[in-house]
Amino acid sequence: MPDFWRRLGAPIAFGLLALLTTITMVSDRRAIRDEAVGLPWWQALLLEVTVPVQKVLLSPVDAASSAWDRYVDLVGVQDENGRLQERVRELEEANLQFREALVASGHLQRIAAMRDDFEVEMLPAEIVGLDISPWFRSVLIDRGHAYGVRSGSPVLTDQGVVGLVTAASPSAARAMLLLDRQSAIDGVVQRSRARGVVRGRGTGELEFEFVVRGSDVREGDVVITSGMGGVYPKGLRIGVVRSLADPGGRLLQTAVLVPAVDFGRLEQAFVMMHRGPTMELLYGEPGDRDVEAKAGSADPSAPASANGVARVETPRP
Amino acid sequence: MKQALALLLAGLLALVVQSGIVRVVPHPLCPDLGLLVVVAIGLYWEPLPSGFALAAVLGYASDVLSGSLLGQHGLLRLLSFSASRLGGRQLNLRGVVPLAVFVAALTLAYALALHVLQAFFSGTSVSWMSSLGRATVHALVNGLAAPVVAAGIASLCSWTGDDEGGRRGFRLDRGTSP
Repeated sequence: MPDFWRRLGAPIAFGLLALLTTITMVSDRRAIRDEAVGLPWWQALLLEVTVPVQKVLLSPVDAASSAWDRYVDLVGVQDENGRLQERVRELEEANLQFREALVASGHLQRIAAMRDDFEVEMLPAEIVGLDISPWFRSVLIDRGHAYGVRSGSPVLTDQGVVGLVTAASPSAARAMLLLDRQSAIDGVVQRSRARGVVRGRGTGELEFEFVVRGSDVREGDVVITSGMGGVYPKGLRIGVVRSLADPGGRLLQTAVLVPAVDFGRLEQAFVMMHRGPTMELLYGEPGDRDVEAKAGSADPSAPASANGVARVETPRP
Repeated sequence: MKQALALLLAGLLALVVQSGIVRVVPHPLCPDLGLLVVVAIGLYWEPLPSGFALAAVLGYASDVLSGSLLGQHGLLRLLSFSASRLGGRQLNLRGVVPLAVFVAALTLAYALALHVLQAFFSGTSVSWMSSLGRATVHALVNGLAAPVVAAGIASLCSWTGDDEGGRRGFRLDRGTSP
């Protein structure tokens, strides 16, 4: 027997263990497929033993990590605070210069003219901050839900669509720009009425997708909102076709758009106080109706209400 | 027996340490200490049946601590142990560079086998090529860490060398003939 075990013990042990691991894999897969609730007793026991042991053994790691976060890393926070204060001073100075430039260039007249182009209420807002992450494209505006700004409200300028409010605090809101990768708008070519979806690329350009092959789309065509999708009203400028990608063997075509809005010089925008039906479904709350009722009760003849909301006329693309 | 228990505890401790490192170091840059311990056991632990058992138990422990199917790491650790045992006999894995190269190659093979098993059992097609970059980085990290772990396991074997397996393991480590 000892001789037998010495000669064949290893192959037998290997075979048995390989068989055992295979069986447990199959049974584990079956348990997952059958959505079995609970672990077998021995696996549960392993976890029960493992968790407290891990907690005890990892407590020094956690303590060191906590100490680092609370104390040592504060050196970085102090530096960052100094940089941010410097940045705030720069922005305040730039803000003052922008206001002066706006008045000087007659921008305010154009904004006033834009108000006359829409029949929905528009709230003027200053762009006060840009996204710090290179992977996302959004801006901070200086109007929040205290002014009636809500998530899902479209943001525009006299040049065209800027984006969509995604979060609002009492006095500020974050708006996702058209350029963001998560942004998608139903658009239509103004000349040929070819329809598609405009998506952000995370860069300074847009992508006009899902244009059916053979559609009449040319360089220089203006793409406007189609009104489909229930987010943006119809007829707002999105961008101009810069180039058409080779569709190859695909049925769908893609065009690159230059945004109508100059995002690099975005200083002021308007928040539409009326959200589309889709946004109402997504973001609507019982309290929103009260806000809308209050906004609707304002004097339509007044160019601007107490909080700066303007009531304006029909959109003209 | 004492040596087997010490190796088992060392393997389990390696897994716990690894789960701590993962919290502060990105995954591909964190060495797979569990695998490295199994490889070192394959090099320095002589009795094969108990070596297989140690590898399988440590593999199961890895399965419990990861999201893999139960037995997936168990089977692959068993194969890794066999590969290191065979490699130790056919190649000179006493040196730092040969051991690092061997472990790096083993890590790549391990990752590929893990993908294949996952695809086979879960029925999903996993793109191996998309993971190749991460696997390569992980293989390099494992290769660099392997000599350190192997030296630790060799020291443990010599420190607890009170049975036949341990003594043989120690002699193999020193490269002397019995």
